Amino acid sequence: MKKILIVEDHIDIRKLLKMTLEFDDFEIHEAATGDAGWVLASELQPDIVLLDVMMPGTLTGLDVCRRIKSDPGMRHTKVIMLTARVQSDDRAAGFTAGADDYLMKPFSTLQVLETIYRMEAA
Amino acid sequence: MTSVPSLEPASLPSFDARCFDEAAAAQMERFVRDFGRMYRERNEALREVTRAHHAALLQLSAAADLKDDDTGVHIVRIGYLAEALALALGQTAGYARMLRKAAPMHDIGKIGTPDSVLKKPGKLTPEERKTMNCHAAMGAEILGRSHIPVFRMAAEVALTHHERYDGQGYPAGLSGDAIPLSGRITAVVDFFDALTMDRVYRPAFSVPEALEMLAAERGHAFDPVIVDTFLAHAEAIDALRCRITRECPSFDALIDAP
Repeated sequence: MKKILIVEDHIDIRKLLKMTLEFDDFEIHEAATGDAGWVLASELQPDIVLLDVMMPGTLTGLDVCRRIKSDPGMRHTKVIMLTARVQSDDRAAGFTAGADDYLMKPFSTLQVLETIYRMEAA
Repeated sequence: MTSVPSLEPASLPSFDARCFDEAAAAQMERFVRDFGRMYRERNEALREVTRAHHAALLQLSAAADLKDDDTGVHIVRIGYLAEALALALGQTAGYARMLRKAAPMHDIGKIGTPDSVLKKPGKLTPEERKTMNCHAAMGAEILGRSHIPVFRMAAEVALTHHERYDGQGYPAGLSGDAIPLSGRITAVVDFFDALTMDRVYRPAFSVPEALEMLAAERGHAFDPVIVDTFLAHAEAIDALRCRITRECPSFDALIDAP
């Protein structure tokens, strides 16, 4: 079963994301800050991380993404950035940080699943 | 979806304070839960329909192949051998699995070929040859009406499995990489499997003979890379061929195997 980590500070968005992932069989973990997300990611080495860009705390989503991508233990880990901003430089920043894909908020339930399936197929 | 928290400063000390109105959140969760149920039910229904459609088309393919094989195991072998060869070529497990399900239907178009041509002993006249060659396009027509990926691939295989690497095949006279990989792989396994089968008009060729005939078509009828890969894995592929003949897996197994 694929291990998925949700890193998102908004409790309700996090819950809706989790409920979306429950449409399928995934092992789901959650973190509410970038810092907690990084700790959990290092521990779990998840297959996929859904990662909010803007979060309170010392680590932003981009920081967490860079760390995951430079961690030899997480070479298999795919990062999908969740961004509320529509600017393309935000997208570019995500890809520069090594993100594999990104999703715009408000997220589409079907797009979340399709993006994850695409990651699995790759 | 306007939310009070978005107006609050990002440096809010308690993160859990970032939340929706309670009633709105509860209602949204209901929506998502219902949507999830419909999503699963829809996927389940689609799987059922695909399965039934697949089983029916496999039966039809076996019927089209009755002249050459009254057991139906030839087309099942084509599926498993194509899967093994795709894997040996470094294709993904997903691609190989889909090819296993798709390749057995490559000759389904023969259902529309008249018996006078299909069962004719000896050489076909040019006119009969033309009729015979229609089976590729006819198969693609039968299979290509679906938008489901496995049938799209099956249509591609049906249409292109008689193309030749040197461009002398039919129906389109494609050459080289212009022929889809699925068709190039299926052409090779179909050739090998047909040679190593007993036919009414001749006994089976031995495996070494069949391999030699395959090697002779390297770069002519068949993609040289695929022939080389086949030859490099000939022992394992032949062992698989014998195992499938022995175990004779059902169409259901062909569809459902992981």
